[in-house]
Amino acid sequence: MSRASSDVAAVRSLVGFGAVSLVGTVFAFAGALAAMLAADPWLTLWALAPYPALVLLAKRFNAVVNQRAQATQEQLGVLSARVQEYIAGMSVVRAYTLEPRASADFASANREYLRRSLALARTQASFAPLMGLIAGVGTLVLLWAGGKAVVDGRLSLGALVAFNGYLAYLTWPTIALGWTLSIVRRGLTSMARIQEITGARSDEREEQIGLGTTMPLSTSMRPLWEPAPGTVFVGERDVTRLPRGALRVMLGYVPQEGFLFSRSIAENITLGREDADAARVREAAVAAGVADETDGFLAGFDTVVGERGLTLSGGQRQRVALARALVGRPPILVLDDPFASVDASKEEEIAGNLRALAQGRTVLLMTHRLRAAQLADRVVVLDAGRVVEQGRHEDLVGARGLYARLWRVQQLEEEIARA
Amino acid sequence: MPDVGHEFDDRLGRAFDRRLVARLWHAARPHRSLIAASLVLFPLISAVELAQPYLMKVAIDNHILKADWLGLTWIVALYVGVLVLLYALHWLEAYLMNLTGQRVIHDLRAALFGHLLRLEAAFFDRNPVGRLMTRVLGDVEAVSEAFTSGLFAVVADVITLAGVVGVMLWLDWHLALVTFSIVPALFVAAGYFRLRARDAYRRVRQRLAHLNGLLQESLQGMAVIQLFARERYEAERFREANGAYHRAVFASTSYDFFLYASVEALGSIAVAVLLWYGGGEIIAGAVSFGVLVAFIQYTNRFFLPIRDLGAKYTVMQSAMASSERIFGLLDRPPAIVSVGRATARDQESRAPAVELQGVWFAYEDEAWVLRDCSLSVAAGERVALVGPTGEGKSTIARLLNRSYEAQRGRVLVDGVDVREWNVARLRRHVGIIFQDTLLFTGTVEENLKLGVDGAVAPADLARAVETARAAAFVAALPRGLDEALGERGANVSHGQRQLLAIARALVYNPAVLVLDEATSSVDAESEALIREAMSGLLAGRTSLTIAHRLSTVQHADRILVLHRGRIHEEGSHAALLRRGGLYARLTELQAGPSAA
Ligand SMILES: Nc1ncnc2c1ncn2[C@@H]1O[C@H](COP(=O)(O)OP(=O)(O)O)[C@@H](O)[C@H]1O
Ligand SMILES: [Mg+2]
Repeated sequence: MSRASSDVAAVRSLVGFGAVSLVGTVFAFAGALAAMLAADPWLTLWALAPYPALVLLAKRFNAVVNQRAQATQEQLGVLSARVQEYIAGMSVVRAYTLEPRASADFASANREYLRRSLALARTQASFAPLMGLIAGVGTLVLLWAGGKAVVDGRLSLGALVAFNGYLAYLTWPTIALGWTLSIVRRGLTSMARIQEITGARSDEREEQIGLGTTMPLSTSMRPLWEPAPGTVFVGERDVTRLPRGALRVMLGYVPQEGFLFSRSIAENITLGREDADAARVREAAVAAGVADETDGFLAGFDTVVGERGLTLSGGQRQRVALARALVGRPPILVLDDPFASVDASKEEEIAGNLRALAQGRTVLLMTHRLRAAQLADRVVVLDAGRVVEQGRHEDLVGARGLYARLWRVQQLEEEIARA
Repeated sequence: MPDVGHEFDDRLGRAFDRRLVARLWHAARPHRSLIAASLVLFPLISAVELAQPYLMKVAIDNHILKADWLGLTWIVALYVGVLVLLYALHWLEAYLMNLTGQRVIHDLRAALFGHLLRLEAAFFDRNPVGRLMTRVLGDVEAVSEAFTSGLFAVVADVITLAGVVGVMLWLDWHLALVTFSIVPALFVAAGYFRLRARDAYRRVRQRLAHLNGLLQESLQGMAVIQLFARERYEAERFREANGAYHRAVFASTSYDFFLYASVEALGSIAVAVLLWYGGGEIIAGAVSFGVLVAFIQYTNRFFLPIRDLGAKYTVMQSAMASSERIFGLLDRPPAIVSVGRATARDQESRAPAVELQGVWFAYEDEAWVLRDCSLSVAAGERVALVGPTGEGKSTIARLLNRSYEAQRGRVLVDGVDVREWNVARLRRHVGIIFQDTLLFTGTVEENLKLGVDGAVAPADLARAVETARAAAFVAALPRGLDEALGERGANVSHGQRQLLAIARALVYNPAVLVLDEATSSVDAESEALIREAMSGLLAGRTSLTIAHRLSTVQHADRILVLHRGRIHEEGSHAALLRRGGLYARLTELQAGPSAA
């Protein structure tokens, strides 16, 4: 995020100001130089005599400035690490009354940062007036050598004054040159980093794949994570052979975390699908069981939710995400643990909705709550990435395997919650 | 309760706010001698700068035109002196302004961090670490710019302008008035710029905020976007926002360029007028050649500060926005303040070591975590607190050291309401030990002595390490107690970290120990070590142990079972098991699926 915006800003200044001033600089420099040479080559040489020395000096300064700027930057890193550590560990700070220590720790890093910033400022402070010095020395030499020429009658006074004017055009470009070069350098570095990202192929494999119930499902959702060919099939067709869009038309997927964008509820449901009109949105919302609540909001389906809008409860978010999956009327519905972030009363409600949703559809429900699994025609039990049991709920409970043990534990939990 | 302003705050646009400048001035007051020195320097620098064109005039009129080369050499020597002096003065000026700015923000950073340390826990629940870091480290930088290239530069410019006007009038008031005839046009241009630029800059900020928000959200929701194949739709949205931002930047830049170009053009016109009128005057003998040359140079100086107004405007605008956020944070009063009254334990007191009386507590609004909860721990008693996760066990610990405050009911320590305790003393008295605690950057020894004021005898330290069963692994570290712990103790294992936390608690040695046990599991060997270390820690001490592993509470004098915001059952391990209630079920549950 920070990388994106700061790099883009650097490139912007490269193509914006950097380019403009580079072109302008070259023109001004060349023009002034030509005019001066035409007027009086000798005097030009005199006037330019101090420039090489000053450019070298500027370069030296630049090296020192860079070095000190880096030292300052490093200390800022130290300081920010301290702040981060103490703010993140504030509960420990409180419990151990560490406030004085934290203050002292921060103060010493803060002091060092001040010291280094000032060291940098000292060199920078001598760098900036250099421009005035370059201009001044040029004028000085001109006044002295040119003045003599005028006195000797070799040069007209008007030419001398014009010369002084041209000289002013040379000073700024000389300074600007170094500055422009540094902008170009920064811009190019950022450009390289941007290209590194945009150049990255979008089919990169995800390194870590969550294990357990989520995996086989995600594996079917190309191209997020791509399964090996010939391992995952939908309706007898290998998912790796299906065109990308087709799979998503067939499969409605509700992820475990119902991520909502800071947009209206309707937009969150359609996500910009052109074929989803208001009626379809309502139909999906009714099926997902959020229509009534949404109608209760001030702006109805146009209510903006999320960070900059209305905060929805975990269950409400979940159901909006469900409506999102339903709006495409998929024949297959895949639900990844819809009970992960809802409490018991909502669980009943969602389970009730599920029954209705399953009408005329294939539903694949991933869940750790076995009460919901009771609804299924068939339960598949996964353990460490393998199918260990399969069958109807009643049969599995009777089987005394992993499923039966999990069932007992969850019943205990329910008893505790009810106590 | 409002937080301290969002990252993408967009309600600001002003470059000068009297109230904020007054606050900034207040913050800068300790360094007013530096500011005074700068203010003395400004006219000095202006004077020396303005001497240059004058010397030029003298050189031309008195020496070159009179063919006096020796005299010219003297003037040149004087010019050298002026240059050197100017260089030194400029250096001093730049350094002084930096010094002031850096010192002010050094103080501001310290004030901000100090203030954060005083704020209550609930504040940190609402304000993410990243945002607070931006306040302490990012926003202050913008404020320092106000000193180095904003406010001060404007003052310096005004002084220079006044000087230029004065010298021009003094040299030749006719010629001066002719030059100034261009000023009304200048005012019109600057006024137009100010009017337009303000809105343009505000739009840039707003659109950038929008763009950033969109980018952040798209990155967070990338999985959903890809899942529903909405990449193209999102890209389109982003392109739109990006285009809007681009247009806003272009508009604001074009105002900058408008100002720049029109001031340059007006400057050229002024010089042309000067040459036309002045040339006539020279021929008429009313004006000398040198004066005209000096005038041309003065005219350039006159236009320079106005031309660079745009840059200063931007600097001041972001400085104002940042100081608004900084002062907003500094103005937020801590909700929990210490009364500063020292409380000593009454030796005769028979009051419980800690006690909750009918406490109601919610982190937010009416979502009660504790409902009419009462419990007490007698001095010298070892009590365990158990219950399912999320019931509020840790919350009780946080109430005991007044990290949070109960909405209703009373929390007593040694029979005294925590609100009447001096907060620092309370927290020395009731030590909350997070067993899975974080380690700070520093050596092992520094981490063990955390929060202990004064010296700790090496023997005591060694004993604590021994009791905590940490001696063996500390000895195995290459530098022993002096071993530096990496960021957040990255170089010690999970189990070792728990042992260090126990050793730290032993060194801290609070009168009442509240132990919030780690939920995370460790290997069997570490588990055994930790259990031994814990019994060493609890021996002969008043303690309230919040236990997630029920196996560790069986030896407690008394076990409290928290459920639905209050104490649901209490008694010894055996008694509670016999009762066959919640505790019995929890025990069975913890035995795990394998036992079924
Ligand atoms: N800082 C907080 N802000 C808001 N809610 C919180 C905060 N800390 C805990 N909670 C909520 O308060 C309840 C009790 O939490 P806690 O005391 O940590 O439980 P326990 O320690 O018993 O597991 C939980 O529902 C939890 O989600
Ligand atoms: Mg807890």
